[in-house]
Amino acid sequence: MNRRKFLGLGLATVVLTPVAINAIDFRKEKPDVWKAQSVDEAISALYGDKKLQDSDKVKIKARKVASNGGVIPITVKTDIDAKSVALLQDVNPESAVIVWTVPEDGIVDYNVKIKMKDSGKVIVVVEGKDGKLYSASKEMEVALGGCEG
Amino acid sequence: MGKMKIKAKLEGDIVKANVMIKHPMLTYNAAKKKGKEANFITYIVGKVGDKIVYEASTSQFLSENPLLRFKFKGAKKGDKLTITWRDLKGKTVTKSKKIK
Repeated sequence: MNRRKFLGLGLATVVLTPVAINAIDFRKEKPDVWKAQSVDEAISALYGDKKLQDSDKVKIKARKVASNGGVIPITVKTDIDAKSVALLQDVNPESAVIVWTVPEDGIVDYNVKIKMKDSGKVIVVVEGKDGKLYSASKEMEVALGGCEG
Repeated sequence: MGKMKIKAKLEGDIVKANVMIKHPMLTYNAAKKKGKEANFITYIVGKVGDKIVYEASTSQFLSENPLLRFKFKGAKKGDKLTITWRDLKGKTVTKSKKIK
């Protein structure tokens, strides 16, 4: 290999691997999750055919009635030793909203503001380090839809 | 677009972080109506040094100018919390803030 070729190769590698900021980017690793139009589809795209079990250890905090569907604050908490946490809902065109990868020694106490175009259900799935899926859901009333269609 | 505000405060051994990102979070439907291209944040990561303390893959359904709150352990006062996000168009923004 001559020097020019070698340098060219080096350059190509640099271009192919842009700043590696991600550990797990679920949009790249599991693109189908974000296209799924039902909660079930999204969950199986994320976690395969594993069964969900309802758990009171998974906590969802939100106001029961959201006056503005464009800004709905939701808090997700759990003590379960978790690998990842997914937040989904069943009224927008697609179901998945956000998937957190829980870092080593991570605390699952996440607050985020989401959009919902109508009243419906938010569902949280916690993937435990034991491989099981724990879930909880909450009915939400949305007074003014915030998804602009 | 692209501005980001970070607040991080140590309480006991837990850091409480608030991150506000200025971003339209334009959904596909809203973009169609406005005749624009959809664009929203797709990935957010928070680090202290090399250690990841927060990581999320996100969809168009976060609110406009998303606000994220989270907690983590293992950092001390003066450490830097660095947040990086990327959107659908590939724009990447990184900002750091000292933990108070």
